[in-house]
Amino acid sequence: MITRYKFIIIITTSILLFGCTPVSELKPSTVKPPIITSASSLDYGYPPQRYKEKIKRYFSNKLSRGAISKYTFSKPHRAFKRKGLAYGGTVSWRGWLVDVDISTPSRTGRIYSSKPYMVLFKGSVIVEDILGRNHKLLTRVGR
Amino acid sequence: MANFNTHFVVGASASAGISGVLLSMEIIAPTEAVMAFLLGTFGSLMPDVDADNSKSIGIGFTIISFLVTILAMFIKSSTYSIAEMLIMAVVIFSFIRFGLISIFRKISRHRGMFHSIPVAFIWGIVTAIVMHLMFTLDGLVSWVYGLMVIFGYLVHLILDEIYSVDLGNRRIKKSFGTALKLFRLRNSSDIYQNILIYISLFALMSIAPDTSLVKEALFSKEAWINFQDVLLPYDGRWFFH
Repeated sequence: MITRYKFIIIITTSILLFGCTPVSELKPSTVKPPIITSASSLDYGYPPQRYKEKIKRYFSNKLSRGAISKYTFSKPHRAFKRKGLAYGGTVSWRGWLVDVDISTPSRTGRIYSSKPYMVLFKGSVIVEDILGRNHKLLTRVGR
Repeated sequence: MANFNTHFVVGASASAGISGVLLSMEIIAPTEAVMAFLLGTFGSLMPDVDADNSKSIGIGFTIISFLVTILAMFIKSSTYSIAEMLIMAVVIFSFIRFGLISIFRKISRHRGMFHSIPVAFIWGIVTAIVMHLMFTLDGLVSWVYGLMVIFGYLVHLILDEIYSVDLGNRRIKKSFGTALKLFRLRNSSDIYQNILIYISLFALMSIAPDTSLVKEALFSKEAWINFQDVLLPYDGRWFFH
């Protein structure tokens, strides 16, 4: 009896666990924005101006040894990001994203290690940076 | 098998050590190192939640109840009034802490599959997914937290195995091999349980955050060079930099 009860509980828990996770919606894609296509490019604003300089200044304050790091930039492209599912999962930011590779010396100064960052702009203001080249809550839209 | 205090002390010490190394290698920031330490310690207590009268089950369910309650309050904070949130919080907390715990006590068996390597990985991957999708942490930090839970969990299992060898009487206790295992096949229902655990493991992996950052930061040649770089004083002067 207990074994049967246990089996039902395991099955129900597994279904609940996977049923609550919106897998397909969260995969990063470069295909198209969801329902908001009609709001299109205006919602994303203008591409950031002097973004290289701004990013360097931003990371100089944020990273240790950011001022003496080496930066490699991509061109800005449109993207949007959802809030975490704990906060409702709605679109929280829509704007321009710049990929940056930052090669920072270690604290001993003997080695350099490179890390990829995504820098999110609203207009020409940096609103957030995310470590990595992708995030399941972030969708790249294109240029 | 080791008691609660031993698991706590060893789990916390091991987690503190690993968090310190990650901090020193500049993989995580100081605040993240504190969280990593807490998750590692929590992971080292988790396997004993299947023991009906252990302290772990009480602590584990209290923490989970608090987390889920706080999460629900976050989600509803913009729409619910304070009175509604208070009622919701009491209901959710009581349901998990006192309702689910009794169901769990009935269905779980001490030293069953809760004491196994794949379940350690399931908890770690769930942690990484929650951190990434719920709290929008980046892939690296999410995985570091997930790996800390796995690490703490495995420390617990290894400790249980060590305690099942009686060095004084030079004998191996009956419990040997029941903690650090990949599967369990004692009766017919174990087969379903094993299949479900491994299916869950692979399904969770498919929705887990990107692993490339954590691979590079922890399991690459560069990571090893980074570790060697900070292992000993670079200028040869101990304590006087």
